[in-house]
Amino acid sequence: MMAATQPVAPSAEDAGKALQKQLLAEYYHSLSDEGRNGRKVAYLFVPGNVVELTQCFDMLPVYPEINALQCGIKKVAGDNILRAENLGYSSDVCGYVKNDIGLMLADRQSPFGQLPKPDLLVCNFSGCNTFVKWFEALAHFYGAELFVLDVPYLRERSPSKADVDYVTAQLEELAAVCERITGVPFDRQRLRGVLGQSVEAERRWVEVLHTAKAHPSPFDAYFEAVFYMAPLNILRGTEGCAEYYRLLLEDLRSRVHEGRGPIPEEKFRVVIEGPPPWPHFRSFWELFKRWGVCSVASTYSKVGGLFDQGIFHDPSRPFESIAEYAMNSYTNWNLGLRLDLLRRYLKEYEADALVIHSVKSCRSFSVGQADFRDALTRGEGIPTLMVESDLADPRYYSEAQLKNRIDAFFESLAHRRLVGG
Amino acid sequence: MTLYVAGADVGSTTAKVVVLDATGQVLGTSLGPTGASIVEAAQREFQEAVKAAGIDEHEVEFVVGTGYGRFKIPFGDAQITEISCHARGAVHLFPDTRTIVDIGGQDTKAISVDERGEVVDFSMNDKCAAGTGRFLEAAAVTLGLTLEEIGPLSIQSSHRLRMTNVCTVFVESEIMAHMMKGERVEDILRGVHNAIAGRSISLLRRVGINPAVTFTGGVSRNAGMVRSLEEQLELPVHVSPLSQHIGAIGAGLFALDRARGGAETIRAAIPTASHAGHAAGGDH
Repeated sequence: MMAATQPVAPSAEDAGKALQKQLLAEYYHSLSDEGRNGRKVAYLFVPGNVVELTQCFDMLPVYPEINALQCGIKKVAGDNILRAENLGYSSDVCGYVKNDIGLMLADRQSPFGQLPKPDLLVCNFSGCNTFVKWFEALAHFYGAELFVLDVPYLRERSPSKADVDYVTAQLEELAAVCERITGVPFDRQRLRGVLGQSVEAERRWVEVLHTAKAHPSPFDAYFEAVFYMAPLNILRGTEGCAEYYRLLLEDLRSRVHEGRGPIPEEKFRVVIEGPPPWPHFRSFWELFKRWGVCSVASTYSKVGGLFDQGIFHDPSRPFESIAEYAMNSYTNWNLGLRLDLLRRYLKEYEADALVIHSVKSCRSFSVGQADFRDALTRGEGIPTLMVESDLADPRYYSEAQLKNRIDAFFESLAHRRLVGG
Repeated sequence: MTLYVAGADVGSTTAKVVVLDATGQVLGTSLGPTGASIVEAAQREFQEAVKAAGIDEHEVEFVVGTGYGRFKIPFGDAQITEISCHARGAVHLFPDTRTIVDIGGQDTKAISVDERGEVVDFSMNDKCAAGTGRFLEAAAVTLGLTLEEIGPLSIQSSHRLRMTNVCTVFVESEIMAHMMKGERVEDILRGVHNAIAGRSISLLRRVGINPAVTFTGGVSRNAGMVRSLEEQLELPVHVSPLSQHIGAIGAGLFALDRARGGAETIRAAIPTASHAGHAAGGDH
């Protein structure tokens, strides 16, 4: 082992990881009793949220979906889910919802400390219609104010002017509610500034995603992207968030330059659709790694925004761009748009196959997946694998069955390659 | 020296081993319950098959394992999933096969193959065992019958009776309800077989039903199931007297490729058993 004789500048990879760790630690500290400093708390959903607006009132965002996935990874979601089921929630109800109800019943003690109660629940439900019932329940249990942001389903490629106006008018109302709750007057200029920070991070994130077009891809656009997307989903609109993506991009570009990928040899490039099974995240990833599978694009990494499809916030049109962003969340796209997106990813990222991880309790994602499979496999000859478990409930994960399906799929792809199929 | 290979299919319910010669001819077969020890079941059936083939264990050049127990087969040289093996075995026995339906103890699979016998697509039942061999077992137990008895009895049915669910757990109460209404056992059994056939056909539809259809797996030995499938498909289905061994035969054919060391061998692309052991090591 060599002794370091002079200080070495940290690599972008190390600097990026350190910054992410620091930013998230600061975020969780800000949620604690000592860190809050009297700031009010807004509970938000990730897809299509309005965090730039609530930030203008110094409100701290809490994302119950992110708490749920973190509880899944930290293996406490199972206990939370049982608490909710003891209260009467059915086994068919979304695992995220039950985790959150269970967390509430456990005095909001999460693996990251005690989470604060909400002062306001902003139900931006374009990620899933179950969100409405989720926040209605929380509003009831916490006695907190609920603001339902009614976001129309995206029937056409772009939202109509009437739809944008409809959401914009609600955002004006929401600003007034936030003013009343926090006592902070609304400042449009401040909103433009926050949106400016968001766009910077969003544009860099798109460049990050595009690096996966390289052969080999410098990162796994599903299993690693879910960690890379955390600052964008939790800290959007902050300076640190934009800086993180600058470092990440630098790191990935150097990996592309060195021809370095996440696995020793990239044998198969896949697009993955659907949320991951968080309680078994690592072992699920292993099932793919052993076949030399690298995900080069995924839809789940777009739940925080379809920025790579040109949907950016815009400081010059603050409310309108928030409205458009809210409507353009992936699961608010109609099935035709979603299918076209999968097709584009398969082509643009030169993928060999599509993998669908279907989650029965996640209606917003699972609806249409069997049709995607049919359209791509039978209609276009694109090999598609569909496997099933749950995003938060560890009881729905059967490793032997998943492994069998995954092995069979890549075995036959490998064989077809060998015989020139 | 004559070349001998073996295929071992250790499933959730039964372990099957076949010994093949260099031409792919089946020389010996064996079949027995998997029970609690995959290792013991595999070893026992391997010895039986070798004995049936009239050769010595050491003469077997290469063994491919398949089925849920494939990574636990102590003498296996390579592991291949039963999807590839059932396809290979079915096409070997019935070269005109384009679609395979395999109903086993806890899995039902639909596989489509191209004209060269390569797997094009496959579909399996979701996590629950509805519509698999377990469902038939549960029905047989409820009626106090053996698995061998229920197929022939269902063929004697004269009255169409519809089972409303294919849940292995709830089938018992539904059967009891029919019994209490005075329905005949034959008709109930016909309903049970039809329910599984319907469920299997919806899996087949996902991959596309192209003739000829070959029916494999333990449940294909049940004449009532063959009849229900043929009726609902409106097509004859191939069933081999060796249908329970088709996965093992496919595994044996892959073993033959390997023993010959041909470039076409599937083994070349398959992760090794040691990798598999690591991946199966659970969560980190």
